[in-house]
Amino acid sequence: MTARIAVLQLPGVNCETETAWAIERAGLAAEVFRWTRPARELRDFQGYVLPGGFSYQDRVRAGALAAKSPLVEVVAEESERGKPVLGICNGAQVLVEAGLVPGGGGVELALARNRMERRTGYYARWIRVRVEPSPCVFTHALEPGRVLPLPMAHGEGRFTGAPGRMAALVRAGQAPLRYCDAAGGVATAFPDLPNGAEESAAAVCNARGNVLAIMPHPERALERGTVARSIRGAWHGPLRGGPTASGPGAVLFAGLQRHLVEA
Amino acid sequence: MTGATTVSLAQAWIALRADDPDAVSALLVARASLGAGRALAELRRWRLIELAGSRLDRDAIAGHLHGSTQFYNPHKEHCVVRVTDADPLPAPGLAYAVVWERDGDRRAAAERWWRHETGETVEVHEAHVWGAAFAPGTAADVAMDELVRVRDARHGLLCNPWSQASATGPRQLPWIGAPGGER
Repeated sequence: MTARIAVLQLPGVNCETETAWAIERAGLAAEVFRWTRPARELRDFQGYVLPGGFSYQDRVRAGALAAKSPLVEVVAEESERGKPVLGICNGAQVLVEAGLVPGGGGVELALARNRMERRTGYYARWIRVRVEPSPCVFTHALEPGRVLPLPMAHGEGRFTGAPGRMAALVRAGQAPLRYCDAAGGVATAFPDLPNGAEESAAAVCNARGNVLAIMPHPERALERGTVARSIRGAWHGPLRGGPTASGPGAVLFAGLQRHLVEA
Repeated sequence: MTGATTVSLAQAWIALRADDPDAVSALLVARASLGAGRALAELRRWRLIELAGSRLDRDAIAGHLHGSTQFYNPHKEHCVVRVTDADPLPAPGLAYAVVWERDGDRRAAAERWWRHETGETVEVHEAHVWGAAFAPGTAADVAMDELVRVRDARHGLLCNPWSQASATGPRQLPWIGAPGGER
């Protein structure tokens, strides 16, 4: 039976359609689950994705109100049973504000306003991330060091925490994707490091690896033809399989599918 | 204080003329999800701008704040200017908390505008002030602390301490970066 994945649509979320398509493309069944439904119905799903957007208009703080919603409470409970959870951009902000990443019960991180050279505010561009050794179920089948071009688009994407906390998460394999330069070296400055994230973290997972908060948008890089010419790298070339062949963002959804088949 | 007296620090409390959506949502979520929220009777929010270093008087400062698009829109917001601790707060009797972004509270564009218009070099800082009223018998300062600082899904809402700083309780000017908070 095909695993069912709930794509949570809270008010203000605006990436649910392409996220559902990304899941379907990976061979899973996706269903957009709106906030008006009873939260308990979420328990019938085998995994969850919190897509991008501006849940609750980013009122109070990005992700802060959604993190207290009954839907996210159920997702938190189900994640403790090992079900996979992926939060993309605003979804990542929700997972951080809810304490699902890095996990452990408390809120240990923030996604702070971008810190950029001669710029403030919202920033959108294609960037590169490097796969790190990690127990993360979405990336663990990928070879460490592999570089993926992905689009990012956010104003608050700078992972930060208590002094030394992000470094400890990197050592523990809980930063499965880090911003990098064209040669695959960890990014140290803008624009390769687009938001000033500590330890150049583009994504953080929990210790078990089943919950991932990622700031770039893999669902916007499902096909090779969508990848910006300026950044294609290994994805450049004659577009084997044509422009609709699997793109760099698809590998994360394939990781989800592989995990659910193995589970 | 007379309008002709120059000041070194001015506070602008800016609020929507309509209900503030952030405050309405925060009130509902706090009541539904947080222990400290159950006793909440009222929650209001202001944008707080502090302007340090001006030698202009209160009326001139208020005029520049009103006349520029850098600070507020008088068609949909109103502004109360305070220049001393004795000036009344916009809503007396509430428990207050001020929340600002760590190393991100400066308003560079507003500073440039002020220099261009007045010739003065000032610092402009921005934060949010939350004002809360609690049910009778509630220790308001304790409840406000619980409401502000996020610890986990059940505790805190208004300030994520890993990216923001906050201060609660009575204080003297300036409020942003005041003792009890951090910059």
